[in-house]
Amino acid sequence: MTVGGPLDAAIERSQSWCRTWWSRFHQPQPWLAAIPDVGPSCEVLLADALFHDLEPGEREGLLAWVRSQQHEDGSWRDMQGEPELSLTCLGYWARVQAGDDPESEDLVKALRVIHELGGARRANLCVRLWLAMAGTVEWDWVPAVPSELYLLPEFAPLSPARLSPWARQMVTALHLLAAGPAHIHVHDAAELLLYNRHDEPIPPRLTTPGLAGDLLQAFDTSIRLAHKLPRGAVRRRALTRARRWIEDSQQAHGGWFSARPTIYSLLALRVSGVRSDDPRMRRGLDYLRRARGIVAVEGSEPVLTLAQGLTGHPLAELASLGGAAGREPGEAVAGVHERLLAAEIARPGPWQRRADAPSGGWSVEADAEAHLDLRTTCSVLHAFRGTRTSATRASLRRAAEVMLAMQEPDGSFARFERGEADVPLSHLPWRDADQLNLGAPEDEGRVVLTAIVLRELAVLGWRREDDRIARACAWLEQAHAERGHLWSVATVAEVVRASAAQCVPDHPLRTACEQLLRSRQREDGSFGDELSTARALIAMIACGEPCVQAQRAARHLVARVGLLARETLADAPSLPDTELPGYGLSPRLRDPSAGVRDIHTALLSFRREVGELAPSPSESPA
Amino acid sequence: MSSTSVEDRYDVIIVGAGLAGCAAAQALARADPQHRRSILVVDLHRGVSPRFSGEFIHPRGAEVLDELGFYGRLISAGAVDVDGFVVMENAEHDAPVVLDYAAIPGERSRGISVHHKTLVRVLRRTICEREQVTLREGWRVTDLLRQGAGQSTGQSTGQSSGAITGVVLRDREGVEHRVSCDLVIGADGKASSVRKLAGIPDRRETLGFTAGIEVTDARLSQPLHANVILGGPGPMLCYPITRGAEGLSFRLTFDLPHALPAKGRELSDYLIDAFVPYLPGPLADQVAAALAERRGQLELAPTFNLPAPPATAPGLALVGDAAGCSHPITASGMTMGLLDAKYLAREARRRAGARVGTPWLDDRSLRRYRLEHDRYVPTRQALADSIFEAFRGEGEGARGIRRALFSYWRSGERQRVRSLALLACAERRPRIFLAEYLKTAHHVLHSSLAPRHASHYPVSDRLRQVHGAVGLAGTKVGVVAQVAWSQLRVF
Repeated sequence: MTVGGPLDAAIERSQSWCRTWWSRFHQPQPWLAAIPDVGPSCEVLLADALFHDLEPGEREGLLAWVRSQQHEDGSWRDMQGEPELSLTCLGYWARVQAGDDPESEDLVKALRVIHELGGARRANLCVRLWLAMAGTVEWDWVPAVPSELYLLPEFAPLSPARLSPWARQMVTALHLLAAGPAHIHVHDAAELLLYNRHDEPIPPRLTTPGLAGDLLQAFDTSIRLAHKLPRGAVRRRALTRARRWIEDSQQAHGGWFSARPTIYSLLALRVSGVRSDDPRMRRGLDYLRRARGIVAVEGSEPVLTLAQGLTGHPLAELASLGGAAGREPGEAVAGVHERLLAAEIARPGPWQRRADAPSGGWSVEADAEAHLDLRTTCSVLHAFRGTRTSATRASLRRAAEVMLAMQEPDGSFARFERGEADVPLSHLPWRDADQLNLGAPEDEGRVVLTAIVLRELAVLGWRREDDRIARACAWLEQAHAERGHLWSVATVAEVVRASAAQCVPDHPLRTACEQLLRSRQREDGSFGDELSTARALIAMIACGEPCVQAQRAARHLVARVGLLARETLADAPSLPDTELPGYGLSPRLRDPSAGVRDIHTALLSFRREVGELAPSPSESPA
Repeated sequence: MSSTSVEDRYDVIIVGAGLAGCAAAQALARADPQHRRSILVVDLHRGVSPRFSGEFIHPRGAEVLDELGFYGRLISAGAVDVDGFVVMENAEHDAPVVLDYAAIPGERSRGISVHHKTLVRVLRRTICEREQVTLREGWRVTDLLRQGAGQSTGQSTGQSSGAITGVVLRDREGVEHRVSCDLVIGADGKASSVRKLAGIPDRRETLGFTAGIEVTDARLSQPLHANVILGGPGPMLCYPITRGAEGLSFRLTFDLPHALPAKGRELSDYLIDAFVPYLPGPLADQVAAALAERRGQLELAPTFNLPAPPATAPGLALVGDAAGCSHPITASGMTMGLLDAKYLAREARRRAGARVGTPWLDDRSLRRYRLEHDRYVPTRQALADSIFEAFRGEGEGARGIRRALFSYWRSGERQRVRSLALLACAERRPRIFLAEYLKTAHHVLHSSLAPRHASHYPVSDRLRQVHGAVGLAGTKVGVVAQVAWSQLRVF
């Protein structure tokens, strides 16, 4: 093969797809860069009964998205494809609230699924909260939060400040809603409940089974009784503190930590007496609007719908797509670095409570200065690679300090705040306790984040000689030993890239992960879908010597790009969406542009590091 | 005598014509006012060693250079008077700590810094003017002669053999010469072949590498100080080395780990990404441009830790790096070499009247030299090792001690002066050394418990820092005791 052959054609083609996605993200109604489940969209539709903010087009777009995601059996499913009770409850409720006929076949099916899965009593906290706000069930369906917790100092283990950032906003809003109590005129959705023989709703169990759970249930009941007693100044002060928490946490972009905390915080502000024309309400609603975007629904004919995202335009996607969508291969879009530099965190935030680092790094989205996001920080650092101006140098230096300070005691790295995956309150036997954490220490997302951080720190000169890097490598080794066999190709590829940057070639982690990755290659040269193949190819290139397996993977990708270009009439093809770590009730997100982005990056790396495609065995003269 | 021949016998043979060797030759020649002695200086390299090496000399070393008549010539050749050290913990956030030589009472107010190649060239030219000194360049020492029928030692010979009585030299043409003498001085650096041939054991440990580049007119707020810049993956040191018509030329060194993260051209890219961001803004731009424009490979020199081996053996004295060296971060290696030359010459002056035919520097003289040497070298090594460890900051404890050092230095002028006096080899009283150690340990506790940015830093993190720092400080107790003892003992 020669320069100008299929490899270059594939690079050019994939880059044009990147440019298409770039323009999609920058049109007047942008496409959604990180797509969650239908939960946030449903809640926006329900909350509009109070806010009255949705335009008819927006309502129809959101409803179209919710309807499109309903499975044939009537359920709404999670990212793993399993029927999900809470999503199904919310999807059903949002549709009925919007005027869909509950007797229609798909809604009847949905209701059947809900009942089969145990009814709304088994659904998550948000569904029960909506039921309580609708007046369908008593407020004892949601856990009681003692107001006095807000009077604790921030370092106390039970202080709400110790919760993960998502949970902190949600719990505070929930507390104010329950203290109101809030009441919203929505469809009562009583059909979501299961009833006993006395026609009374079967109540949920708020705690886990066992003695500890029973004791906590008793404690919960006692708190409710105590709420009925006159508590005077202490309660007033605690509620004032909670409300101040909400008010202080509103960020420059108008929202709170993400879409769901924003919805609940706005509801809480209204319950606390804030008028609907208050600027804080307006800014919050505008943020929600900016966090919506177009989503293409695949079918016989692709349909464009509108979905509620968790955040506004994510900086991570801006960084990675901006680096690939320039005019020339490998060239960044003009002005993208300046935009990223302008978005650097410059003010102290709550993430610095437990992380001893100066302000720096990047948050999930622009103007969200209160919340550092280490994943976005790594994406931005990657985009800055090779850009060596005074401004980027200063940002890189600060980012390195921030990344090192975000290391957890076990050696892994926290994404938003140190201690987010192991909140003290989550050890109590609440049914919803895991929502107080952000992920879990053994999550694959944490493995990926730790690997990415190690890779970026290696570029910034931090190697295994430093005890912090050595600890992170040791944590990866341990995680690999315990759960490595379960890791996806994308995760293994990230660990291989990190170990190639930090470990000597014969290091056990490096050799084991490389072997694991290579063993996943299939007969046709792929590693599964195009995205997995692209990531595996990038990892194999990072390992150093060009190998036959990398050649086979590259050949497969080049062939797939050619095939997709012929098959697809649209400007950019539909490729398997990558999973991104989300938060709270939307733990997984889909990144629709990741496929083309990673294919382009992989092929470009192959061209740069390896050179040319070797002829396949069938083409070779022998 | 032609440049390819030597006499059969000299009073002293100095192996190595670097700073320590030339200074020793000049000092010994000056200690022989009647010109009765002969000194042969041999060096492996024709001209100057291609590798960059020590260039910064503390005031005490500058004083020795002045006494030996080198100072004026060096200044004329472009050497720069330097004012002290500036240490930057974080070039962006914190004010630098300025350590001025002028503040040390009773000490010369300035040191000297000079390009290594200029230094060696000037020194060699100067010693060649001495009647007693013969310099041979490109000659290699292949063996040592020992007492007892002039047998050569062979590399495997132990230290227990007889006194050293000469050397076997191989000239540029490969011809061997057996030259006898009363004293061999090993001044051939940290990887000393004389030390090895004499069978003196060493516990040399490779620390890593130092990469260096030259920058013209570096934009520093204190250009006449050695600027130590921390915060990055390793410490950086920037100091002036030449004053020319175009202004000051600076050396910037980067401390790299033993496993080099990149090689060849990629090393420049690595330095731009990993180290340059930690330089102060204007200097960072200059250095990035200098690294990007650089065509060839960077100058690299390995760094060693060589705990001081015995500095003397019968018929042998070691000077300079051959007698112990540490990481160059404290820039004290050259000063040590000059002090070695000074004290060796002091003993030579004592024996200036000794009859010709009797050894110029006898065993008693060597014993006195070693006693003196063992007083300042362990202090310097203990300090250099601890400061390097703290500045590199590769462990929780080391980072704790680094914070403590800055906290201590910022606590007052007196503290800064005391530390600089120890660093510059101007202070070696054991009680001062001990007091400095204890005060730093106190600051370790204080600064480790108080985070700099975090508002609710977990207690477990604080305790881990304290534990690491106290543990590291604990490992230094033995060193402190050894230093104190070396100052107190009589024999």
